[in-house]
Amino acid sequence: MKLTTLTAALALAGTTALAAEKTLDIGVSDALTGGAAVYGLPQANAVKMAAEEINAAGGIKVGDDTYMLNVIAYDDKANPTEASNSVRKLIDRDGVKYILGFCCSGATGAVASFIENEDAVMLVGNAAERSITTREIPNLVRTRPPADYTGAAAGTFVAQKGHKKVAVLGALDIGFYASYVDAFEKELEKAGGEIVTRESFGLKDRDMTPQLTKIRELGPDAILVVGYVEPAAFIYRQAVELGIDVPRFGFTSGSEEQFLRVATSEQMEGVWDLRPTELTLLSASDNGIAYHANYSEKYGIAPSPSSPYAYDQTYALKDAIEAAGTVDDTEAVAAALRELPVPDEVVMQYLPVDGKMFDVNGQAYTSNGAFQWQGGNWVFVQDLPSDAAAYSAFLSTID
Amino acid sequence: MRWNGKTLLWALALVGFILLPQLITVKYYLHLSILALCWVIAAQGQNLIQGYTGYVSIVQAGFMGIGAYSTALMGLHYDLPVWLTILLAPCVTAVFAVLTGYPSLRVKGHYFAVVTLAFNLVIFIVLMNWHDLTQGEAGITGIPKPGGKDSWLNWRDRGTYYYFVLSIAILMTGLAALIVRSRIGQTLIAIRQNEDLVGAIGIAAWKYKLFAFVTSAMYAGLAGAIYAHYQSFINPEIFGVAQSLDAILAVIIGGSGTIAGPVIGAFFVVFLPEYLRFADSFRLILYGLVLVLATIFMPRGIVGVAGDLWAKVKGKPS
Amino acid sequence: MIEILQQIINGMAIGGVYVLIALGLTTVFGILGIAHFAHGSVSMFGGYLTFFLVVMWGLPLALAILIALVVGFLLGVLIELLAYRPVRNANHINAFIVALGLTMMVEGLNLEFFGHEQVVIPTDFSRVFNIGGVTIPELRLYVILAAALLIAAMTIFVEKTKTGQAIRAVAENRDAAILMGVNVNTIPLVVFSISTALGVCAGVMVGALFAIAPGIGEGLVVKGFAVLILGGLGSIPGAVVGGLVLGITEALAAGFISSAYKDVIAFVAMILVLLVRPQGLMGKA
Repeated sequence: MKLTTLTAALALAGTTALAAEKTLDIGVSDALTGGAAVYGLPQANAVKMAAEEINAAGGIKVGDDTYMLNVIAYDDKANPTEASNSVRKLIDRDGVKYILGFCCSGATGAVASFIENEDAVMLVGNAAERSITTREIPNLVRTRPPADYTGAAAGTFVAQKGHKKVAVLGALDIGFYASYVDAFEKELEKAGGEIVTRESFGLKDRDMTPQLTKIRELGPDAILVVGYVEPAAFIYRQAVELGIDVPRFGFTSGSEEQFLRVATSEQMEGVWDLRPTELTLLSASDNGIAYHANYSEKYGIAPSPSSPYAYDQTYALKDAIEAAGTVDDTEAVAAALRELPVPDEVVMQYLPVDGKMFDVNGQAYTSNGAFQWQGGNWVFVQDLPSDAAAYSAFLSTID
Repeated sequence: MRWNGKTLLWALALVGFILLPQLITVKYYLHLSILALCWVIAAQGQNLIQGYTGYVSIVQAGFMGIGAYSTALMGLHYDLPVWLTILLAPCVTAVFAVLTGYPSLRVKGHYFAVVTLAFNLVIFIVLMNWHDLTQGEAGITGIPKPGGKDSWLNWRDRGTYYYFVLSIAILMTGLAALIVRSRIGQTLIAIRQNEDLVGAIGIAAWKYKLFAFVTSAMYAGLAGAIYAHYQSFINPEIFGVAQSLDAILAVIIGGSGTIAGPVIGAFFVVFLPEYLRFADSFRLILYGLVLVLATIFMPRGIVGVAGDLWAKVKGKPS
Repeated sequence: MIEILQQIINGMAIGGVYVLIALGLTTVFGILGIAHFAHGSVSMFGGYLTFFLVVMWGLPLALAILIALVVGFLLGVLIELLAYRPVRNANHINAFIVALGLTMMVEGLNLEFFGHEQVVIPTDFSRVFNIGGVTIPELRLYVILAAALLIAAMTIFVEKTKTGQAIRAVAENRDAAILMGVNVNTIPLVVFSISTALGVCAGVMVGALFAIAPGIGEGLVVKGFAVLILGGLGSIPGAVVGGLVLGITEALAAGFISSAYKDVIAFVAMILVLLVRPQGLMGKA
C-alpha cells in the first residue's frame, strides 16, 4: 500500500524518477537518547550511512524494480517497553518489514519475544545476550557474536599468559557480561587457574575504590574488567591510583577518546581488551578504514567500535533481498539471510560457518582479538583462538 | 441532575471503551490502549494512597515488578495455570507491601516519599542482581498468554486481550469506587485532611494507612501481572523509579482523589509521549513542564478542570 | 587494618559529596518545607557548566567554578520564584510533584546542552600519596578538604551571621520569625542561593573526581535524602554525620559484604535507623 502511494506521489511530482524506481522503508529501533545512546546512536547513524551508499550505488535490484532505501529510526532508549512500542509502530503503522539496529540486550529481548509472529525480519546488532539467538527464531539474525563466545577465547588467552589467580570486577548484573566471565572461568580452570573474586558495580557507579581495595588485599595475578566503557575507564585509573600493578585485562570495547576522557594514557598503558575484532583503525581492513573516514566526515565524530554491526546488517539485508528476489515475502528474505555468504562491503571480519555469514541460529561470528593500549592507542596484537563452527554447534544445543 | 450527568458520562465512556477496537484502524494504537489500561489499574492503586490518603508513594512500578515477576516465575517453576498466577501475583505483592509499609508509614510526608523511593531502588537492584531467580537484565521471555493454544479464545489476538484487560480495569475501578465510598475510604480522606485530628478521636490511623498502601500495592501487582502476560517479556528496566513517577503523573494529570482521574491520566501518560515525539530530545523537558504547570494551574487535574467547566455551562458557581 | 583504613578513606570522598548535597537539601527543607528533588540535577548542571567553560572556552578552573556558581545561583532563584513559590501554601504533595517535574526539566536541559556522553572536568592533580600502605590520590584529598572547608563555612554562616540567625529563626518558628521582623520573602532566596552554591560545588567535585552523566544527579539526590533521613531532617550536624556514615557504610559494605548489593545495604541501614529512631541520628525527638 505504502509503496504504491509513495511511487505515485513521486511520479505526480513530475520528478525524473524512473517508473520502476520504488522506495523501501526500513526501520531502526535503537537507543538514540539516554545512557545507552553511546551504542545506539552510532548504530542508527551507520544504518543511515549504509542506506545512502546503497542508494547512491543504484539501490536494491529486485527483478526489474529498483528500490531506494528510506530509513525510519525510532528511539527505544534501550527500554523493553519502548522497544516493543517502536517496533509495533514500525510494523503496524509504518508498514515496515525490515527492522535493524538493536544495541542493547533488554530491549532486544523484548522484541525478540514476539517478532516470530510478525511478518517482518529483525536484524540485531550490538546486543550480546546469548539467549537472543538460542531459540532459533527464523526471522531474526544477529551480527555480533554472543559474549561467551568471546569470553572463552579470552580465558584461554589469559591462561596461556600464565596467570592463575584472576580477580573479576564487572557489571555482573548485566547478563552477557556475567556469561563472558562464566565462559572465561571455564577455560581458565582448564589450565589450572581460578577466579578469586567476582566484584560488581552498577551502571552509574564511578567510585570503584571499595571493590579495588578488596581486590588489592587478595593479591591476584591479574584483574579482568568487564563492563560498559564509561565506568570501566574509572577502574583502570583507580587501580593505578591504588597501586595495583598486575596485568589488567578487559572486555569493554571503548574507543581511545572515551578512555582518555577519564584516565591518562600512562594510566592506561598495557591494558588489554579481549573482544570481537571490532573497528579500530590499526586493525581495520580497507573497508574499515573507508568506513571510519566516511562516518567521521558525515557525522563529525569518530564511529564507535561496535557501530559497524549495524552497517553490516544493512548490506546483509540488501544481499538477502536481492537473493530472494522479493521485498514482500519476508519468509523468503529471512531464509536468504541464513544462506548468505559474507557480503563484500562489510566492515567486521566475519568467520563464516559452512561458508555462510549466519549459522542455523541466525548468528554471525567475528574473529576475536587481543588489543593492547600502547602509547595512546589500542593496538591489535593477535587473534584470539576462536572456533566459530564449534561454538555454533554448541549454540544449537541450548534452548 | 448532577448524578444523572455523571452516570451518563460513565455510560458513554464505557460504550466508547467497548467500541474502541472497532474504531481503531492502526493496530499500534490498540497496543497502546492495552498498555494504557494496565496503567489505569496501577494508577487507581496509586490514587488510593496518593490521592485519597495524601501520601506520595514512589514504589508503584516496583510493586508492578513484583507482581509481574511472581506471575511469571510461578508459572515457570510450578507450572500453575495462568489465571491462578495472575490472581496470586497481587497477594505476593501484598506481602512485600506489608513488610515495607510498616516501617515507612511510621514517617510522614516527604520522608515517606523518599523511603518508598528507596524501596523501588532496592527492588530494582535485587531484580537485576538475583540472577538465578530473575535472569537479571536479560529478562524473562516467553511468558504465556492466559489461554492455552487450544483455548476457544484467540489470546494472541490483541482485540481479545484488550477486552480481557478492559474488564479487569472496569472491575478494579469499580472496586476503588466502593472502597472510597465506604467508611474506610472516608477515614482515608480524613487522614489526608487532618491526620492529627483522626488520631485525636481515637482512630488508629496507621491501620488505615497500611490498608491503603497494601491495597495500592495489590493494584500495582495485578497491573504488573497483566502487563507481563501481554508483553510475554519482562526485565527490571520497566519497573524502575521513572515508571513510578509515571504513576504519580497519571494521578495528578487526571485528577487526584477522583475515580475518573486515574483513567484519564493513565491514557494521558501512555499517549502523551507519542505526541511529543516530534520533539524527541525536548520530550523530558516538556514532560516536566506539563507536570509543573499542571500542578500549579490545575491542581485538581483534568477532572477538576472539566468539573469547573461543566459547572460554568450549567450556570452554577463552581 | 590497612584495608579497613583504606575503605574509610575511600568512603570519605563520596561521603563528602553526600554531605554537600544533603546540606543543600536540608536547608531548603528545614526552612521552606520543600523536598527539593531537582537539587541533584541543578548541582550537575553546575558541574557540566564548569566542564564546558574549562574545556570549550579554556577558562581557568577557579574562574569557571565562579561563573558556574553565579549561573547556578540564578537557576536556583528562578526555580524558587517560578515553581516553588506558587505552591508554597498548597498541600505539600503539590510542592513535591513540582519538584519532580523540575527534576525532569533540568535533566532534560542538561541532556540538551551537554549531551549524553559522560564528562570529566580536567585537573592537574595526578599525584598519589602513600601513607603506610594507605593510598590517597591528591585530587581525592583536595575534594575531602574542600568539603570540610565548605561545611565549616556553612556552619559559621548559620551560627554567627545575622542572615544565618534569621534563617534559623524561620526554621524554628515561622510565625514568630515574621513577628520579629524577618522578611520571609527574601529568606527563601537566600536559602536557595546557599543551597545551590553548595550543590554546584558538589557537582564540580563529582565532575572532577568521578564523572557527570545523565542520571547521576538523580542518583545523588536520592542518596542526599537518605542522608537526611539518617541524620534527621533539617539538621545540619545530622547532614554531616549522616553523609559520612552513608559514604563509609557503602565502602565497607562493598569491600566486606557484597559490591552488588552495597546500595541495598545502605538503604536497609537507613530503614533500620528509621525504625529505631524515626527522627534520625541527630534529629530532635
